[in-house]
Amino acid sequence: MSGGLRHSLRVAGALMRTSWMTGMQYRADFLADIGTGFVRTAATVAPLFLVYSRTDEIAGWPFADAALVMALFLLMEGLVGGLVEPNLGMVVEAIREGTLDLVLMKPADAQLLVSARTVAPARVWDVLAALAFGAWALAQRDAPPSPADIAVAAALLGAGLVSLYALWLLAICTSFWFVRVDNLRFLLWSATDAGQWPIPVFRGWLRFVLTWVVPVAVVTSFPAMALAGRWDGHLVLTGMAIAALFTVVSRVAWTRSLRAYTSASS
Amino acid sequence: MTGAVAALPRLVRALPSLARVSVARHVAYRAEMTIWILTSLLPLVMLALWNAVTEQGDIAGFGQADVARYFVATLICRQLTGAWVIWELSFVIRTGRLSSQLLRPYPPLLVYALWMLTALPFRLAILSPIVGGLLWWRPELFALPSPAGLLLTAMSVALAWTLNFLVQCAFGCLSFWVDKSDGVFGVWQVVWGLLSGYIAPLAFFPNAWHGVLGWLPFRSTLAVPVELLGGFLDPTRAGLDLARQAGWVAIAFVVVVVLWQRGLRRYGAFGA
Repeated sequence: MSGGLRHSLRVAGALMRTSWMTGMQYRADFLADIGTGFVRTAATVAPLFLVYSRTDEIAGWPFADAALVMALFLLMEGLVGGLVEPNLGMVVEAIREGTLDLVLMKPADAQLLVSARTVAPARVWDVLAALAFGAWALAQRDAPPSPADIAVAAALLGAGLVSLYALWLLAICTSFWFVRVDNLRFLLWSATDAGQWPIPVFRGWLRFVLTWVVPVAVVTSFPAMALAGRWDGHLVLTGMAIAALFTVVSRVAWTRSLRAYTSASS
Repeated sequence: MTGAVAALPRLVRALPSLARVSVARHVAYRAEMTIWILTSLLPLVMLALWNAVTEQGDIAGFGQADVARYFVATLICRQLTGAWVIWELSFVIRTGRLSSQLLRPYPPLLVYALWMLTALPFRLAILSPIVGGLLWWRPELFALPSPAGLLLTAMSVALAWTLNFLVQCAFGCLSFWVDKSDGVFGVWQVVWGLLSGYIAPLAFFPNAWHGVLGWLPFRSTLAVPVELLGGFLDPTRAGLDLARQAGWVAIAFVVVVVLWQRGLRRYGAFGA
């Protein structure tokens, strides 16, 4: 199995490399995407400054901490938009056109193959902008985060990204039954929009939804709390539990969907 | 454009059947429409956010109840002024399906307008439980504007819808020349989100900005009807805002006519 996994990973790496090179062939498009990316980033960050021009803190979060949340949100947008969305968007297309059969016949895990087929190169900009904004946000703080804080933040960020990937996969699974789910993409993006604000801003069911149903808080607010040194065992456990839950549920849903999938030709 | 005027009587006669077809289409894609409405629930998030901010005191005269009323009005007006013609238009232009629509005896853009207008009752119906829930949570929000205010709100909503529709048509027409008109429209959308009153009442922006924000087209597409519906804009002072809305509609109309005619000429050059 380990040999098979290594083989699959190598296959996935090769696929992504080709896709990156294909994307870079269209250099004018790439540059145009970077231009629109700049405006998009500026417009995403602007409300943060608007809010803090009217107040010093919201729900106990000072500007520097909320800026960290915003940076993590930009990072999430870049990573999910660059690595997850293009791949899972292709699955929907493949199911509709029946070309998923070709993927299923290949001697590697189908979930891995469909999840690592392509990248959106222009999203590199989002990631760079996120890192720059994050560095600036960290510089606004009095003291840099301790190594332990950074380690916890990285672990929580990883857990959050895994959860979001699983959420996208779950959404894609529904496309085995409903063919017109392109709009789910817009729904997922607008559902994660709320993640650019610290999670304590939201109360009651909204907070529950943003943590356990659309786990965007795990990607943005949780690591920000870790970097700000405001984490405890409970926070880490919650993040890991959410990641584990989403991984298991999405894997089960995926295998069941595949079993229910009667190919286009049969 | 003379063609469109000549087609008008024919269009009026065909109106009932065109409307019936549109309604049937909405019924067929009701799940899709529900998803679209769910994607524009951002005002609820912004409501939660500004609710937390105004906890410590009023902002620009807005208390917590005002914030709630503002974003409920935003939620409603967003649904009433929304169109999606950009996606349809750029799709039919890129794939060449526009050709068959041009053969029909009605101007395609008017048919699109009719299709999107007939969606409004459905959108309101799907939205009503959410608004009902909000009013149940905060009954003090329920305050209808005066009859005059209501009339102005309706006029303002109509102008905002027309402006949104025309702006989307203009961006859609760009597909005659470039491949990525969706991406260009994406830039408009993010700037719109920021400056139209969608994420925050425009009064929350620094005072120095207010003059510019009033004259930009974004305010005319959403903030004016929202402020009228929520009672933030005195009907007796709405004259300038309505005039600016009408002015932007006129400008957008001219732009669309020019882009559409030039685009069609170019489209025809491909042998369609």
